[in-house]
Amino acid sequence: MSTFFTEYAWLIPLFPFAAFIILTGMGKSLGKAGAWIATVASFVSLVLAVCLATERMSGNAPEYSKQFEWISIGKLKLMAGFEVTNLSTLMLVVVTLVAFLVNLYSQGYMKKDERISTFYAYVALFTSSMLGLVLADNLLTFYIFWELVGVCSFLLVGFWYRKPEAKAAAKKAFIVTRIGDLGLLIAILLLFWYMPGNALDFTAIHNVFDTQGGVISTGITTLIALLIFLGAVGKSGQFPLHVWLPDAMEGPTPISALIHAATMVAAGVFLVARTFDIFEASQVAMNTVAIIGAFTAIFAATIGLAQNDIKRILAFSTVSQLGYMMLALGVGSVGGAMFHLFTHAFFKALLFLGAGSVIHSVHTQDIREMGGLGGKMKITAWTFGIGALALSGIPPLSGFWSKDAILTVALEEQPILFVVGLVAAFFTALYMARLFFLVFAGKPREGQAAKESSAVMTIPLIVLAVLAVVSGFVETPFNGWLGGWLLGGEAEHHVSGLVMIVSAAVGLLGIYIGWLMYAKGTIRRDAVSSRVPGLVKVLERKYYIDELYQAAFVKPLQGLGKLLELFDEYVIDGLVRLSGHAVGAVGRLNTRLQSGQVQAYALTAVIGIVILMLAIAGRRFW
Amino acid sequence: METKLALTWSDLWYVTPELVLTGFAVFLTLLDLVLPRRVSQIAIGWLTFVGLLVSGVFVVLLMNELPGTDDGVVQLLAGSYRIDDFGNLLKLVFLGSAAFIVFSSLGAVKDEDVPIKGEMYSLVLPATLGAMVMSSSGDLITLFVGLELLSITSYILVAVRKKNRLSSEAAFKYFVTGGTASAFILYGMSFLYGITGSTNIELIREGFGYAMENAEALLYISFFLMIAGFAVKLALAPFHAWSPDVYQGAPTPVTAFLAVVAKGAAFAMLYRIFVNSAYLVPPGETFLQQDVFLGLSVLAGAAMIVGTAGALRQRNVKRLLALSGVANAGILLIPLALGFDGLHTSMFSEFVYYLIAYAFMNIGAFSVLMIVTRDSGNETVSGFAGLYHRAPWTAAAMTVLLCSLAGLPVTGGFFGKLFILFGTIQTKTYWLAAILLVTTVVSYAVYFTIIRQMYMRSGSADSGLKLTAPAAITIWICAAATLALGFLPVPILDWIDSVFSIRLDFLIQ
Repeated sequence: MSTFFTEYAWLIPLFPFAAFIILTGMGKSLGKAGAWIATVASFVSLVLAVCLATERMSGNAPEYSKQFEWISIGKLKLMAGFEVTNLSTLMLVVVTLVAFLVNLYSQGYMKKDERISTFYAYVALFTSSMLGLVLADNLLTFYIFWELVGVCSFLLVGFWYRKPEAKAAAKKAFIVTRIGDLGLLIAILLLFWYMPGNALDFTAIHNVFDTQGGVISTGITTLIALLIFLGAVGKSGQFPLHVWLPDAMEGPTPISALIHAATMVAAGVFLVARTFDIFEASQVAMNTVAIIGAFTAIFAATIGLAQNDIKRILAFSTVSQLGYMMLALGVGSVGGAMFHLFTHAFFKALLFLGAGSVIHSVHTQDIREMGGLGGKMKITAWTFGIGALALSGIPPLSGFWSKDAILTVALEEQPILFVVGLVAAFFTALYMARLFFLVFAGKPREGQAAKESSAVMTIPLIVLAVLAVVSGFVETPFNGWLGGWLLGGEAEHHVSGLVMIVSAAVGLLGIYIGWLMYAKGTIRRDAVSSRVPGLVKVLERKYYIDELYQAAFVKPLQGLGKLLELFDEYVIDGLVRLSGHAVGAVGRLNTRLQSGQVQAYALTAVIGIVILMLAIAGRRFW
Repeated sequence: METKLALTWSDLWYVTPELVLTGFAVFLTLLDLVLPRRVSQIAIGWLTFVGLLVSGVFVVLLMNELPGTDDGVVQLLAGSYRIDDFGNLLKLVFLGSAAFIVFSSLGAVKDEDVPIKGEMYSLVLPATLGAMVMSSSGDLITLFVGLELLSITSYILVAVRKKNRLSSEAAFKYFVTGGTASAFILYGMSFLYGITGSTNIELIREGFGYAMENAEALLYISFFLMIAGFAVKLALAPFHAWSPDVYQGAPTPVTAFLAVVAKGAAFAMLYRIFVNSAYLVPPGETFLQQDVFLGLSVLAGAAMIVGTAGALRQRNVKRLLALSGVANAGILLIPLALGFDGLHTSMFSEFVYYLIAYAFMNIGAFSVLMIVTRDSGNETVSGFAGLYHRAPWTAAAMTVLLCSLAGLPVTGGFFGKLFILFGTIQTKTYWLAAILLVTTVVSYAVYFTIIRQMYMRSGSADSGLKLTAPAAITIWICAAATLALGFLPVPILDWIDSVFSIRLDFLIQ
């Protein structure tokens, strides 16, 4: 069996990186060609990733890893390397595919932006870092790429830095995720401290926590797992660190699709999946993951009901779906989580790109100002509809199968979480119906000259729509291929006809109610808001979490900052100014001495020597 | 070793470098009278350069021969003249510096500025000879003769801009203060002679123990008078007031000569007298030695502070470099002032390393200044405005030299200061280390004023800078050498250490 592509998997991140170097080095002079260089580079990566996946599917491929010594200080050795597993192969395919489609799409979407080559350079750097993160064979290298994707996210959210909202959102995204990153860093340090031989590679972690139980005490294991989870919470926008993700929608829409829907935000899920042995060793950690995940799923879904910005609705939907993945991990189903990650990447990227197409056309993000676009933007409307159905979990689209896989396991493990997940699924269907009908159905608005986007933008939509339909079939209750391939061996089948029927019914119910409210008008739109206006207000304000953070953390910290600034200004600067004045005074004294009178010079010399002599010899007689 | 009283013909070989300079000086003075004015202006400059080089070649030859002789030292005239590695190393520095200064000024000094260029060049030779005698003597009288030879020729050199009022004023001031300093030194020496009964440094040391017991107060007076005299010669604060005036008045090549050769020679003489008489004498009941070196340390500290602070407000680049020279003199004094004991054995290497770095960066900087002044007629900092746009390579070289003066890595100035700083740490003289560090940081502001002018201001003249070839070569050699000293500090330091031996070269036996 050939392992050619496996051994050369490290080439995959290098192509986007080369594109990044070229674009940064000679961006301006390349003009439009720069965008194509980046697109072609991402396509080469995609081809390699697909070849790799084909190679690994053809047989029982072993995990392959290669390391070299990176830093060696005394006894301390830090290794770096890459590892190819089926899990990382899946991620490589997802990342390269979405990255390529987003690159293509941006040719149209960003066409008129004068900093387009900078945009493509950032995207290329992001793609390269994300692929590096996927390939990393140990936590340290992983962490470096983890931070790099964070930096790229920061740069791209703030890409339109002249907009104050974009600047604020970029800062918020960076700072909030840093809180999680700090947790991950501490977890890595703890692992470094406690692991035998200071090993940080995933294989060693697997060996220590899976097979040789008891090497590290349960308390420390729980602590490490929770800290790693904190990192994942930050990156994947889980409650209570979810606040940055909706604001990050200030970035260009292709970025929202690539980074904030399909790839980077899923890195938290990937991290937990990669270090799953640590979590499995601690029931407390597992429960935390499950509960946070389930809570985020329903919490974000309810907020999604009351938002009016098309991208923010999708952002809260992303938060909610990532919650599903965490829920799956928490109830022990890595396969379910990765499956949902896989399908979600396609349909959520599709929805974002579709939303981008709409925004590109009507120049607003407020769904209340849209309507009747379905007639004018047929491709966008159809593909968006497919994405919405997939997200709502309507059979036989991909979202149904992956959601079903998660709910089945949840029912087996924690029935209460199953109920929460089901309710969240209902809300999901409802807000997607609201979104779809408000935007595409109804009467067209006066004076809104919407027209279909160009082919570079619609082709990615069509490709993703096809994937949103078919990608679910890799793992159905009748065919557990993906789970088996990912986790090795024959994965246990979780079949539950009840769950399938109930989840499909809930999805359809949500859509039906949405249709009644927003398309047909049988139920008045203000049916809820007129009766309990407080509830809608709370949802619109996103449960006042931002306001709470503002009051509890931001304001006190700013106060402390002001205080320190005063200290800096008056005490530190005062000392600096004082020393400056002292030097200046000596200089002035010197200038005064420099009278030009040679008699004065000689006199100074004589006085000088007398003082020196008296002072030095005289101190003996004191 | 037997001391020879009379000079024999065979002994003349050992003083060839000095004889070459003497010969060239006499010959060139006569030639200047014979040759037509136009020719002599150029020819005498080149011949001076050749004379300095020939003399330097002989010094190298002698250095190679020394290890073959008794104890590696040759003493002439009852020990009053010594050929040793200390002297030879410094002679090389002096001859090299003088040669570079003469070379770089060839064709760059305007006729209307210095009408008597022939005399200017031919006077460099006796001045350098004086410096060589100061580094090579073992007797107070010979040392003083060398000092006076250097001083008196320097007074004339400062005055060669005959028609310039500033130049005449500077020469007069230099003459008065220099004369006062010589008087201080001579007065101090006379006490030393009176107490110990000899002018020979070796004999003075032998009589030192007795003197300390019986005439301690007179020894105090003697040493502090000499310190005062040398402090004037070295331009240490508060004895430095003459130096900005004199540096400004003198033609730039002469200024460079004063800054490098005259200062270095004064240091050589200081080492000769102080190391021999005061360092290695077993400390008796008194605090004399401690107090003498404390006095030197205080002067070093004062010079660094006053020089740096004064330079901060200075707009005239020549005066700025004069004050920078004051600060640098303080730094150069530190190794000597720290004393020599088991902890601090590298005194001489630290001194010579920084002296070499100091020589290169000053000669380079003065050469750039000479070219810039010649071009714009402006000696102030604003003369450097936009230099980067007019002559980018010269500006780059000047940046290297200024960074070295400021003590930034990776330059000779950085390592020179670093080695001296190590010395202060080794001997636990932390206050001096603190002054060195703080003044170094403050000095960044001084040198970066010029760098800022070169890069961030647009100059008045659009045309390129007119560089003379010798000046350009000198600037580049100096910048390259400054970098070389920065990149290869350890081999150079090791070489100085290997050449020099404290016992043979300082202790006159």
